[in-house]
Amino acid sequence: MSAAATEPGPPSASHAGVIGLVADPVLGRPASRRWWIAFLLAGLVTLGFLGCITWVLVAGIGLYGNNTTVVWGFPIANYVWWIGIGNAGTLISALLLLTRQPWRAAINRFAEAMTLFAASIAGLFPILHLGRPYRAYWLAPYPNSMELWPQWRSALVWDFAAIASYLIFSFLFWYLGLIPDLATLRDRARSRGARLAYGVLAFGWRGSARHWQRHDAVYRAMAALAVPLVVSVHSVVGLDFAASLMPGWQESIFPPYFVVGALFSGFAMVVTLAVILRWGLGLQALITDRHFDAMGKVILAAAWVMSLSYLTEWFMAWYGGDPAERGVLRFQFTGPYAPLYAAMLACNLLAPQLLWWRRLRTNLPVLLGVAVLVNVGMWLERILIIWNTLSHGYLPSMRRLFQPTLWDWLTLATSFGLFALLFLCFVRLLPAVAMHDVNKQRHEQGGAA
Amino acid sequence: MPPVSGLTRRQAALGLIGAALAGNLVACSEPEEEILPYVRAPEGLIPGVAQRYATALPLNGYGRGVLCTAFEGRPVKVEGNPRHPASLGATDLFAEAELMQLYDPDRSRSPRRQGRIASWEGFLAEILPRLDTLRARQGEGLRLLTGPLTSPTLLRLIAAARESLPRLQWHAHLPLDEANARRGAALAFGQGLDLLPALDRAAVILCLDADPLGPGPDQIRLSRDFAQRRQARAGGTRFNRLYALEPAMSLTGANADHHLAVPPAAFHAIIPWLAAELGAPLPRPELPEAEARLLRAAAADLRANQGAALLLAGEALAPELHALVHWINARLAAPLRAVAPVRPGAAPLADLLAAMRGGEVDTLLILGSNPAYDAPADLDVAAALRRVPCTVHHGLHADETAAACTWHLPAPHALEDWGDLRARDGTASIVQPLIRPLYGSRSPATLLGLLLGQPDLSAHAAVRASWRGGRTEAEFEGWWRQALQDGVVPDSAAPAVPLGEPRLPPLPASPPPAGLTLLLRPDPAVWDGSFANNAWLQECPQPLTRQVWGNAARLAPADAARHGVAAGDVVRLDLDGRSLEATAMPDAGVAAGVVALSLGQGRQRAGAIGDGVGADAYRLRHSAAPWVRPGLRLSPTGRRAPPLLAQQEQRLEGEARALLPLVPLAAVQQAGPAAPAAAERPSFLPPQAPGPTAWAMAIDTTLCIGCNACILACQAENNIPVVGPEEVARGRDMHWLRIDTYVQEAGGAMRPGFQPVPCMQCEAAPCEPVCPVAASVHDSEGLNLQVYNRCIGTRFCQSNCPYKVRRFNYFGYADGQEYANQGAPVVAAQRNPEVSVRARGVMEKCTYCVQRISAARRAAEKEDRGLAPGEVVTACQAACPTGAIQFGNLREAESGPARLRREPHHYALLGELGTRPRTTYLKRVRNPNPALEPDGA
Repeated sequence: MSAAATEPGPPSASHAGVIGLVADPVLGRPASRRWWIAFLLAGLVTLGFLGCITWVLVAGIGLYGNNTTVVWGFPIANYVWWIGIGNAGTLISALLLLTRQPWRAAINRFAEAMTLFAASIAGLFPILHLGRPYRAYWLAPYPNSMELWPQWRSALVWDFAAIASYLIFSFLFWYLGLIPDLATLRDRARSRGARLAYGVLAFGWRGSARHWQRHDAVYRAMAALAVPLVVSVHSVVGLDFAASLMPGWQESIFPPYFVVGALFSGFAMVVTLAVILRWGLGLQALITDRHFDAMGKVILAAAWVMSLSYLTEWFMAWYGGDPAERGVLRFQFTGPYAPLYAAMLACNLLAPQLLWWRRLRTNLPVLLGVAVLVNVGMWLERILIIWNTLSHGYLPSMRRLFQPTLWDWLTLATSFGLFALLFLCFVRLLPAVAMHDVNKQRHEQGGAA
Repeated sequence: MPPVSGLTRRQAALGLIGAALAGNLVACSEPEEEILPYVRAPEGLIPGVAQRYATALPLNGYGRGVLCTAFEGRPVKVEGNPRHPASLGATDLFAEAELMQLYDPDRSRSPRRQGRIASWEGFLAEILPRLDTLRARQGEGLRLLTGPLTSPTLLRLIAAARESLPRLQWHAHLPLDEANARRGAALAFGQGLDLLPALDRAAVILCLDADPLGPGPDQIRLSRDFAQRRQARAGGTRFNRLYALEPAMSLTGANADHHLAVPPAAFHAIIPWLAAELGAPLPRPELPEAEARLLRAAAADLRANQGAALLLAGEALAPELHALVHWINARLAAPLRAVAPVRPGAAPLADLLAAMRGGEVDTLLILGSNPAYDAPADLDVAAALRRVPCTVHHGLHADETAAACTWHLPAPHALEDWGDLRARDGTASIVQPLIRPLYGSRSPATLLGLLLGQPDLSAHAAVRASWRGGRTEAEFEGWWRQALQDGVVPDSAAPAVPLGEPRLPPLPASPPPAGLTLLLRPDPAVWDGSFANNAWLQECPQPLTRQVWGNAARLAPADAARHGVAAGDVVRLDLDGRSLEATAMPDAGVAAGVVALSLGQGRQRAGAIGDGVGADAYRLRHSAAPWVRPGLRLSPTGRRAPPLLAQQEQRLEGEARALLPLVPLAAVQQAGPAAPAAAERPSFLPPQAPGPTAWAMAIDTTLCIGCNACILACQAENNIPVVGPEEVARGRDMHWLRIDTYVQEAGGAMRPGFQPVPCMQCEAAPCEPVCPVAASVHDSEGLNLQVYNRCIGTRFCQSNCPYKVRRFNYFGYADGQEYANQGAPVVAAQRNPEVSVRARGVMEKCTYCVQRISAARRAAEKEDRGLAPGEVVTACQAACPTGAIQFGNLREAESGPARLRREPHHYALLGELGTRPRTTYLKRVRNPNPALEPDGA
């Protein structure tokens, strides 16, 4: 890995080499022992996740640590965190496509898959959070005999719409990018079953110039649509908190701050997955130091935007002079959650500072460590947004702390199993790197040179 | 975690029990004898329409008149009887909680012989021959032990039994008695008297370890009288001044204008000092400066209010000190009324035990008493009971005493049985049953009938015979109906006894100081322990500490630090060779050198709710010194068992003091009328159409004494479930109404204040716009309603509620996952059919008792009229003994809330948020003595 990591420049494989590199793990080689072990483990953890969900549905959400004062807890933090993870993929694809960042091609496919899986898992948590999860569909506007619609002023209804559109859109965008590669797989498949399956999924793609021309037009148009959607989905998540009356929540900075936070954690997750994928699928030739370098810079920049957001939050809480806001600020730094808050600041603000050095940006263990810390820090940020505000509300009589239960931790931990399982299936069944994009980019660069 | 519906064997077992009980529940109906509804007699029972009957409920033997609401013969709510002098239309928390006593699933259901289920026939077969033998011996060897009794009928039957069996001895056991007060009166006046203070005529009150506002049989009347003289209104001048000196802060101390924590021994100097200051020919003892300063000012105040000044002495004080207080009161011409004791004395328990140990007792009949639990530990009742050949226990529960007796017989609850009770002032009430006995119980009158040779004596016949007097049949019938309807027997109050000049008693020696002093108090939640199995009471946050599900050893913070004890540490208390482990709770309201512990917890055989909750302080009680005993040793055990507190932070500092401002009386009197409501903040939300009705509530925090009656009234009215200690520990309580207790500095001392917090029913409610499914909605009369069926449980409403008044069913607390025995079918019989029982996963909240509003509106519409002023009374308002809670229509200028909103010290809680709450408050007004707080006046 270290040899590959020091390899400079763009992908060096040939046109056919790229396709072989990407498509062979899907079609050619039987699944490795490593994959099977990972698959079994992920399957087991996923079963655990299903078990947690089932037990919560049967026994009631009293299993979680929420109380009368801190009525929100892990499911909401998990939801915000997962949806944040789900933010980066589409953004990498779309924003980097529009801004013509050539390095995106190697990572956009799995980043989009990550988006899709993370957003799907994120979508489960608000349902698990509900007291009556079997009534979750009442959030959807559908004609019913009661002639009751959702209550449109509620940020949760906006949120429901935002997640739903984001999920649908992310899927379409991802699938559209996948079509040419599905056709490649169809063409290279040896078994009849695979040919048939990939053929159906490829929608009769033949690679004609007209196909390419239309594909590019739609793809770019969707990319242009995706950017505001990426911004909107997490802005609306921010509004879940900001459109309230609680100190520490009712801040106009929340929507942009949530978007940046989402990119921040999303990029960190992309880095984590890229390192694992590169190692697991042997993609050293495609995912290179250059990618890690670029992503490291993005994380560093995002860390600074996060710092600015935190500073703004603190300053405004003090400058605004509202005793309740100042009380929450004081509680953040001196209350019982203060160690967690310090850990969050260390993970989100201090750890990324290592990435000032290129040597460390391209040192995969360091980069991976920072990425994991950022993800931990961002989860802490989400849970602390909930805990700090709700634990330290307006009336001292109702101030209570949150005590997480075993079920809180189990549900969070096992949700990674489902994510891993989906990802493992994805790398076995679909090309993990956008072959046509990498080749197109190679072609363009070759032509330019 | 509560069990899951339909999954456990317990559920299946409950189902079977339910099936078995179905017969009983179907049989819920009126008793066979005719009972009469209050005021209006209906032609017949109208299904679905509640009926209210007047009856009375005992506490420590004294009756408090109540009106009980029943649906189809099923009592569901207790309210005060305005005609009854001990109720005056209000209730206390024990009266409200009697329903839970009635429907307690752990009540005894059948006779037991040595623990095994037996029958009444079996009992009679054994006891009747025995009684015949005893009768031949004129009752020699037969003893009767009762609890506190004021019932004229039972007293008449006992007197008759003693007449026919001259050697029968009657003993009474009262864990919370008035022996010191009676003896004090005897010392002063030569006869045992009950002195009833008239707080409404007292301008200055000095309480010496007395707790007139605390729990007790006369709490309602005393606090009502107190409140009448504590009205801070613009231009109004009826405002008393209350001084309290006590070893541990009580509700009286919490509501006092000046409070000083003094150790119990200090009263041996304080009261003679006061007497000397007020003219007694006594040497004036030395006092510490803090006490002397306060007492000098108080004495001057008392003297200046001759005729309206009053001293009250607590039961824990020595009889001589009571007598000295009587002497001072006589000097002050204090507003007191003396009556002959309403509850006659009987031979004490100690005599009985001596006889039992001496083998003199052959048969012991225990009626409504549980001495094996609540007698002082040095008497060792359980061991003595085993030496008696035949012991019969008659009680509501198969309790500790039942376990030590040969026979246990189930007793009916006061709502199941005929009887009569006298109030503290002697006023009698007929107790009429609202429901047929749920189980195979028989009345205590029937048992006494056995002694009289009348085994078929029914309680109904006995009560009627007691009151028949010289009336003819027709006269009596009219009289009887009237007494039942009114709930009060006319002209039955005890006549005032003219008081002679009190004698100056000899002064008792002050006990030598030795170690810590143990101070025992009735438990504010379970009284003497007889309510220990009452889930409502166990979960009701106790006043001041706001502890639930248990008691704690409260001690001064300095003492705790000296013993190396932190809050929540388990400490070992050693006294007289006996020891007890209890949770320590440092409490600034406790005097140095004192450890205060409440009696009544730590039961062994109370039932599924009360067993093993808290520490049993009776084990440290000594019959020679039942309230205060020095020589206590306290040592940490190294273990921790933090108390369950409904409120973690009580201290208000800085800007937070605006949540419950304490203001001096002068500030209110000098202020002009209230600022107009134009100060309301602008809102983005469209203004609400001004309808003819705008419900509002105003709460006068000056009058809130923190008694908790409203919490239980709300719980009973609105089917609020109990969640149990585990869920409380997780921070999940369900009370719709809570009493926030805050402590803040005022006039150089930390002073508590009480703030009942129901839903604020905000006009611009933050909970409404955030609900994604429109379960939280506003109605045209300003109610902020919760549509339970529509709620999906996002809890966004509660997270956005600045007052945190909403409550969430994390489990099915009333819906299949009940705590302990609360899922038993008989508990469901208490439910108010007018209010939905909420399912799991649903948010619930205070609705200003919307069902009562709706019922009143329906009634008005039927009669084609508008709602009369004051026609709708919320449950909390009805219960409040001081009238602190006022509910009504803001559009009517003279409604309670409209009037209070015009007061200068009116304010909205967190009004700066622009929520425009409909529930608003009056600031807590103090009346400090200018001599003590020159700047406060």
